[in-house]
Amino acid sequence: MHDHNHECSCKDHGQTNPLVPTMVKVQKIVDETSDVKTFYVVGENGIPFKVMPGQLAMVSHVAIGEGMFSVSWQDDDHLQFAIKRVGLLTDALHEIEVGQTLGVRGPYGNGFPVEECKGKDMLFIGGGIGLAPLRSFIKYCFKHREDYGKIQIIYGARSYDDLCFKRELFEEWPQVPNCEVYTTIDNAEDQWAGNVGFCPAYLEEINPSPQGRIAVTCGPPIMIKFVLQALEKMGYTDEQVITTLEMRMKCGIGKCGRCNIGSEYICLDGPVFNLAQLKKLPPEW
Amino acid sequence: MKVLPLDKLREALNIMANDAEVYVPMLRDDISGYFQWADNPADELALDLLNTYLSPKNVVIPQTEPMYKFKTSKQDVEITEVQVREGARIIFGIKACDLKALENLDMAFLTMGFEDEYYKARRQDLTIIAQACYKPGPACFCEGMGADRINPAADVLIHELENQDYAWEAKTSRGEELTAKIAALMEERDVTLPQAEPQSRKVDMTGVSEKLAEMFEHPVWDDLSSRCMNCGICTYVCPSCYCFDIQVSNRGEAGNRFRCWDSCMYREYTMMAGGHNPRDYKKERYRNRFLHKLQFFNERYGANLCTGCGRCVILCPNGVNIIEVIEKVKEVKLDA
Amino acid sequence: MNDFTNKAREIAKRLLADGTVSVVLGWEKGDEPYASAPTAITELAEVDRLIIDEYCIHEIAALLTDYRDGTDKVAIFAKGCDVRGIIRMIQDRVIPRERLHIIGINCPGMKDPNEYARAASGFGKAPAAEIAAKCQVCQNPNPFIYDEIIGDLQKVEPSNERFASVEEIEKMTPDERYNFFAQELSKCIRCYACRNACVACNCRTCIFDESKPQWVGRSTDTVNNMLYHIIRATHVAGRCVECGECERVCPVGIPLMLLNRKLVKDVDELFGPYQAGLSLEDDAIPPLSRYRVDDPDEFM
Repeated sequence: MHDHNHECSCKDHGQTNPLVPTMVKVQKIVDETSDVKTFYVVGENGIPFKVMPGQLAMVSHVAIGEGMFSVSWQDDDHLQFAIKRVGLLTDALHEIEVGQTLGVRGPYGNGFPVEECKGKDMLFIGGGIGLAPLRSFIKYCFKHREDYGKIQIIYGARSYDDLCFKRELFEEWPQVPNCEVYTTIDNAEDQWAGNVGFCPAYLEEINPSPQGRIAVTCGPPIMIKFVLQALEKMGYTDEQVITTLEMRMKCGIGKCGRCNIGSEYICLDGPVFNLAQLKKLPPEW
Repeated sequence: MKVLPLDKLREALNIMANDAEVYVPMLRDDISGYFQWADNPADELALDLLNTYLSPKNVVIPQTEPMYKFKTSKQDVEITEVQVREGARIIFGIKACDLKALENLDMAFLTMGFEDEYYKARRQDLTIIAQACYKPGPACFCEGMGADRINPAADVLIHELENQDYAWEAKTSRGEELTAKIAALMEERDVTLPQAEPQSRKVDMTGVSEKLAEMFEHPVWDDLSSRCMNCGICTYVCPSCYCFDIQVSNRGEAGNRFRCWDSCMYREYTMMAGGHNPRDYKKERYRNRFLHKLQFFNERYGANLCTGCGRCVILCPNGVNIIEVIEKVKEVKLDA
Repeated sequence: MNDFTNKAREIAKRLLADGTVSVVLGWEKGDEPYASAPTAITELAEVDRLIIDEYCIHEIAALLTDYRDGTDKVAIFAKGCDVRGIIRMIQDRVIPRERLHIIGINCPGMKDPNEYARAASGFGKAPAAEIAAKCQVCQNPNPFIYDEIIGDLQKVEPSNERFASVEEIEKMTPDERYNFFAQELSKCIRCYACRNACVACNCRTCIFDESKPQWVGRSTDTVNNMLYHIIRATHVAGRCVECGECERVCPVGIPLMLLNRKLVKDVDELFGPYQAGLSLEDDAIPPLSRYRVDDPDEFM
């Protein structure tokens, strides 16, 4: 018996193999809330790969595990991931310091329909960490401000502490021309003068007309469910409502099987769907 | 026709194994599977069996497969080796059902966006010696799934003759090359090929995929799934189930990322960090398995992800039977 | 056993019709003579699917975990071994006795439908036994806790073979024993059928499905396979009712009852005399699930 296995370690394989991550360094870590941090990562030659708003990337704390996250912003020289602490991997990520090497691979998924939305007024409805994927689209709209009409952002979290991206929410975004930011928290707090209540109710109160507008929502499943109902009540058609779905993922390239809803793989065909597309899928989301 | 006499088979396998990994149906403690030929005394050839309990998918997707090695030190991490296993492989004696399953795997791993490098490396230099299947068993239904059990597309097609010698037909240039290496062991003979016995199980898949698309919320899934105990036997013995997990193991600074078979029957398969599980109950997992096989794969790739090999029917400890599932689905009356 | 089937249907009809239970756990026939399979009947119109024949070998009590969160009453047909399984479920607080209507079946011993399916398949060479190996040495063919009963009392042939194979293993040197189990467990494909068929494996979240932390690696190598089987055997020690289902359902033929019986024997010798699943009385709680001041503590 001879062993003719060619165990290949040539660089080529690593570079073309979609399951092997590229190494990046953590350049900066921002504490968003008590359980959300934003990680700025940079590759050897700047940005490891280009992403579109709403696309995903697999982030690996190599010795611990990999997890799929939406890229919450791509700047000229780095990627940002806002990551909530919920499990084994994210616990470990929350312990790292600037300078740590991580792996990333991607980009995966379809991303938001930024082209189709051009010329439209934009309504973003986010809950909790669900603002992270929306933020990539919001900042994209700001970057290409002339391409989009009025921008309204409705964002809710359990408490003031749980609101992510506070500096942007309260200082930067309200300064953008023709942009309104509405924030709400679930229960009243002493220092909070803003709205108290859940996102879907606040949305109905603000009641932006469906005329020429696209609504994009992301948040916990229960919030999404009620936001979709509210939007329908307000007269939005299924094509005017966009959301992102979440399933467990391992490969990111439509092979490993687990992220299917019907015959669609969230990692490839999603995570972004409009309501018309969603209604054609089995109700497993 | 060329004939490889049975008493030359081990020698032929030895010659093939000189420059390739050769996978042959073998029996170990009454568990049959496609194991790598090493001509050990313990290797009991099982070409006389109808098929093997363990499918040949391990040739292209081993149950546990290393992906890359890495080294960590303080804050740094370096990938030291990407473990893609290229090399010549031969699969000997594969039947039409399993060959059709291999076509399914090719679709899943090599089409629709990304190519899987690990699969491709094992698959690209694979020579297929298929065995015509003249005597189907009580659980076989490959014809209903569209397999040509007498004349499957392969590099070499062999036919077991009455005296257990093998009639040998090279079908491709790759098959010719392989045949040349063992030509000295072959004889030229007039042969009579066996008569094909009919397959007793008839399965008609007409309209099943389309009907299932209307049945996601049908109560029949509660009834059908009640006997299932959500183990992974069906998925692991299936030649076309390919779902996998990606995992890591560490020893000190050295680490290894690997992938391993996973099963949609397991609760953990879709369990998300934070605890939400879209397929938390056995009915949901059971339904997803059959829909993936008979509807979703069809919608995505245009084929059933079942090739009628019968392994799950034989080995399910609780009598879950995909043929019965198909029949029950056909019996369901949908409201117009 | 034809009249068993008729009686079973009569009973199931009565229980569903008068609303005593909302589901009946029993068996139905598949499309081969040997293909009997567990089923859950909820509709009166479906009761005639129920059968009881010589292939109803499955430990049906394992299906009770599917009903743990309900409040409705469940009817369950139960052989002697199944009753031991039901006691396991009751003692482990999966389901209370009050939610069960147990229809006992005095069991003459069963054939293993899997063995018959394999023997007919042409995929292996092992023949099927006339009576399954585990039933040949059964000491509990007659249910001893039930609400009603079918069939005549079966005679029990006393067997002292229960620990014979364990004693063979005990005679080995540690190296021989390690090699024996390493060889056997290297065959494991981690399908978890042994766990899912087991009445003692009734945890809501199994340790092997935990990922935070992940206690046992998912790779199929001897170390992780051993970890899986040793942890499982240890966890069911004192609670294993010796139904033999783990070994019967194993698709690769690992002699799992050797491991379990060794622990049954150890628990019996160290904490016993004790046999699991023979009584619902308070003092019949598994020895490793309770504390007594006179528990052996030489290891401390």
